[in-house]
Amino acid sequence: MNAIMQPGFWIFILTMSGIYGIFGLGLQVQYGVGGILNFGHVGMMALSSYTMAILVISHGINFWIAAATGVGVAALGGAFLGLTTLRLRGDYFAIVSIAFSEIVRYVIFNSDNITGGAQGSLAIPAIGEGYPSYTNAWDSIMNHMRDFLQPIFGDIVNREFVMALTIWSTLAVLLLIVSRIERTSWARVLRATREDDEVPAALGKNVFRFRLQAVIIGSILGGIAGIYWALESTLLSADDFLTIVTFYGWMILILGGATKVKGLPFAAIFFGFLYGGTRFFTFWPFSMVDSAQRAYIRIMIIGVVLIILMMKRPQGIFGKRQEMVLE
Amino acid sequence: MAEFIQLLFNGLVEGSIFGIAALGISLVYSVLRLVNFAAGDFLTLSAFTTYFFSVDLHMPLVIAVLISVVIGVVISLFLEFLIWRRLRKSGAGMLALFLVATGVAFVLRQSIALTFGSNSRKFNIDQIKTFEFLGAQIAQAQLVVLCCASIAITSIAIFIKKSVIGKNMRAYSDSPSLAAVSGINVQRVIIATWCISGAFGALAGVFQGTVQGQFTSGMGLDLLLSILAAVVLGTIGDAYGALIGGFVLGIVMELSTWSAFFGGIPSTYKPVVAFSVLVIVLLFKPEGIFGVKARRI
Repeated sequence: MNAIMQPGFWIFILTMSGIYGIFGLGLQVQYGVGGILNFGHVGMMALSSYTMAILVISHGINFWIAAATGVGVAALGGAFLGLTTLRLRGDYFAIVSIAFSEIVRYVIFNSDNITGGAQGSLAIPAIGEGYPSYTNAWDSIMNHMRDFLQPIFGDIVNREFVMALTIWSTLAVLLLIVSRIERTSWARVLRATREDDEVPAALGKNVFRFRLQAVIIGSILGGIAGIYWALESTLLSADDFLTIVTFYGWMILILGGATKVKGLPFAAIFFGFLYGGTRFFTFWPFSMVDSAQRAYIRIMIIGVVLIILMMKRPQGIFGKRQEMVLE
Repeated sequence: MAEFIQLLFNGLVEGSIFGIAALGISLVYSVLRLVNFAAGDFLTLSAFTTYFFSVDLHMPLVIAVLISVVIGVVISLFLEFLIWRRLRKSGAGMLALFLVATGVAFVLRQSIALTFGSNSRKFNIDQIKTFEFLGAQIAQAQLVVLCCASIAITSIAIFIKKSVIGKNMRAYSDSPSLAAVSGINVQRVIIATWCISGAFGALAGVFQGTVQGQFTSGMGLDLLLSILAAVVLGTIGDAYGALIGGFVLGIVMELSTWSAFFGGIPSTYKPVVAFSVLVIVLLFKPEGIFGVKARRI
């Protein structure tokens, strides 16, 4: 029980939910507005975080340029996915998009010399040195912010605190931007294509181009989540980007009500608790199983929540049922 | 040349397994409009239950396989009554079906990992015995799998073509409402579909476990993508297409490692090859190899 009392525990949950919230926001643009079933979203996260890390560590490029390039590569990934497969029927696209993210992961996993592959280290450190890190530039900013905030908030402020704050500020800004986007005529056309392709097409709208734009915007959000993920985990591994991560995003999206952005932050926190909180379930009855088994149970709980959610309340906590049923 | 024949044979064996698993998924899709993401974990489950009955409980392998097939069918039917039927009644859309199937896959996979642990398993069969054929080494286990798979494939093809339930299935997948008003027992068609899918998933799992030698709780998941590629390649919902898609992909994946083919692609990239083939085919024929009607957007 002790862990739950610590502020560090709550900060960890906030950090995780913020990252996955940004990630889920990408799906929100794609599905909530455009009705696009993208199950390969985690691939964008992998592309941006690895691009950033490789550029910083192996090529010594400035962190900010590297991070922007990373997000750009994620956008390119989205464009590639969309251009090749978005003309397919919804269910075909869903399957092929999973394949896209898995192929990204496979290539990362098997390109040991570039990505570190299974070991998760991008470069082998010289004797007496730690692993080369891509977080130096970021850490110095975090430290500055910590020194600035500590007199205001007191001892609770540490690197993790500042990180959570930064991530949630980013999420807040992105939520504002996306909710603005969703009131534009662009979003109205997309929403029309979600219900029916023919009508917007008859009105002279290029349905494919609208969908492609939605996929790219979503991929950029996925890419931003990837950068934060890399900064938070400090050591990347191909296993961070399993298909299951995409479904974490979907879970947040559905919980918050797929067609509304306002539920998303609450859903993200709920998910963060489910995802991070269960790691600290060391009390009875969870004390009967070891930590590896608790990891299995955690994913099992997520599976059960997904099933019950879709069966009992597919519109999520805040969503409109009519919009969900129509699809 | 010996290498070519070797790879061709390996591809044929792997393709027959893909084909069987893909057929189950495709059949379920054609009748229920559901892409069963949990199918991969049914493969894993049957491999583990077969291991449990044959190695832990010392039953003959054939009996263990039969029990595993029954378990696969029972769990498929259980899920039908617990989840799928209710979802259909509530008029759930594509997304709901996708996500619930994923949830089922998570629960199933983690239950297997929780029950059997993360160690790899091995059936108690002769893995070493091989025959030589045109310079290629053909394992006895592979040969047995190929024979069994061929029998299963032939019998299911005849079943779907000739039997009343098979005809009902095809009628129902063409037009559910038309089939229902012409007096076809829809419930029976759905149950038969789950039985076939459960049984074939179980068989594919045992076959894959046999061919692979060692397997872990991630086996089905690793295969799922290639199997889904086979399903889509043969046009989703087309049972015969799925079989052919399975064979095509199995053979292409093996042959891609052939050293005469640009020095051979590393075998770890086989799933990438499967999906590259799929994407290329879809670019030119968006409805799969056997698809006829094209819906434009």
